[in-house]
Amino acid sequence: MAHAIEVDGLTKRFGAHTAVDDLSFSVSAGRVVGFLGPNGAGKTTTLRALLGLIHPSKGTATIDGRPYVELEDPIGTVGALLDGGMLHPGRNGRNHLRTLARAAGIGDARVDELLQLVELSADSRRRTKGYSLGMRQRLGLAAALLGDPRVLVLDEPANGLDPQGIRWLRDFLRSLAAEGRAVLVSSHVLSEVAQTADEVVVIHRGRSVAQAPLRELMAQRSGGVRVAGPDVARLGELLRADGATVQPAADGDGSILVSGRSGEQIGRAIAANGIVISELSPVVQSLEEAFFELTDGAGRGPS
Amino acid sequence: MSRAFASELLKLRTTRTFFALALSAILLVGGISVLGAALGSWKGGQTPGHDLVGIATFVELFTLVLGVLAVSTEFRHGTITPTLLTVPSRGRVVAAKLMAHLLAGLVLGLLVVLLDIGLVEAILSARDIDSGTSASDALRWSIGYGAAGALFAGIGVGVGTIVRNQVGALVGAFAWLFVAEGLLGLVPGVRDVIATYGLTSLSDGLTVSGDHGSDALAQAPAGLVLLAYAVLLAIAGAALLRRRDVTT
Repeated sequence: MAHAIEVDGLTKRFGAHTAVDDLSFSVSAGRVVGFLGPNGAGKTTTLRALLGLIHPSKGTATIDGRPYVELEDPIGTVGALLDGGMLHPGRNGRNHLRTLARAAGIGDARVDELLQLVELSADSRRRTKGYSLGMRQRLGLAAALLGDPRVLVLDEPANGLDPQGIRWLRDFLRSLAAEGRAVLVSSHVLSEVAQTADEVVVIHRGRSVAQAPLRELMAQRSGGVRVAGPDVARLGELLRADGATVQPAADGDGSILVSGRSGEQIGRAIAANGIVISELSPVVQSLEEAFFELTDGAGRGPS
Repeated sequence: MSRAFASELLKLRTTRTFFALALSAILLVGGISVLGAALGSWKGGQTPGHDLVGIATFVELFTLVLGVLAVSTEFRHGTITPTLLTVPSRGRVVAAKLMAHLLAGLVLGLLVVLLDIGLVEAILSARDIDSGTSASDALRWSIGYGAAGALFAGIGVGVGTIVRNQVGALVGAFAWLFVAEGLLGLVPGVRDVIATYGLTSLSDGLTVSGDHGSDALAQAPAGLVLLAYAVLLAIAGAALLRRRDVTT
């Protein structure tokens, strides 16, 4: 059985600019996959190619093994929320959904049900000109859910939502995956998807720089061991002489940050040399730091 | 296909655009008809009914604008994205828009010409002037202006699909109608073609009014040529749209 979403060797060039470069990844049913990268990394281009809106220069992007434009029931298969306005300012929110529902043969009862779900019923008969960004996002989410799809593709869904809304969205995405749906959710802010995603695909300048379960990704990137105390300068010299990397710790209180050695190895050096220390603690690299490191690393060098 | 068509009809009914254009056309044509019928003077043997029905030709401009806005508005506001997500076949989207706007244009064309004929007949008979309009004239005009409203909307759909920029498409359509056809009419050799197959001349033939008479086609062939224009423009627009990357 084909993956719910499969991107294979996808390349998209706009003139001389390569927006997406030989990108491959897949999303299975029941999984939430975070699609991460800084603004301009090629996330939106990838998602639009997946949805048949952009023609790839090379490679394929398929849903259940088929290109989006060949799906028999596109709205009932994939729900998509893309970045941007996408509303006629003079049409009210309910009618916006009704025009989409009608094209898919979906009745008004479902429209009203979704307006309730995204808590827009009260404003649904106002023209969208007066909608806030958060209201637009929620209306877009309602549109994505019209056909009760098995696959969801969401581009920056947390944009414009307040912290409460972001939490609501997070729980909502988890419940969708628990129902066996495949969810691909893009973001330029890692923390937004960190608590939701089973897996992340990180892209930078159109290339995939990492693709792994989040926990695995973090384990690969330990932040070193911080050591503080009266004798750390001497310890630093000893460890450096032994080939470890030693830097002054970021807090500037004279403590040092040792990389390339485990806590135990450092402890042995301390005991063997009779060094006095007051603190020895592993530094957990934050998700954000890991993300920056991944995306900056790939950004160096000629492009 | 019928679902996409139903969706397009609903789109037309859920913004103010159609209603604003319809109201403007009705006020303009109705107003001029009233003034013309109330203030005009005719000698015996003339046909004031025929002279005044030509005012209804304005409806073509309004339905042309309506058609141009069909696709260009979707690009302007980015609604083309949800539209294509629901109906991924771009040819089908254009076909549905073409049919919906032919219908809307037909309705508006009929409304305007019936209003024109009704007002003119009422005012002239109150002034005790013979309009010279027979029942078969009224029927031919109604068919003609209904079809003209529809077909100019259809041509607009094609133009607005080819030129997605709203302002560009509108300026282009009006420049062709009011400037280019006139200028081409001065070029020897091209003149004869424009005198028969230009939009202005086809409109005169279709509505059985205006005074370009001699070179204009009869009602049915004029309508068929305009229909061919609308369909060909829509096919060209759909072909361009299919190749295009939709990034808005």
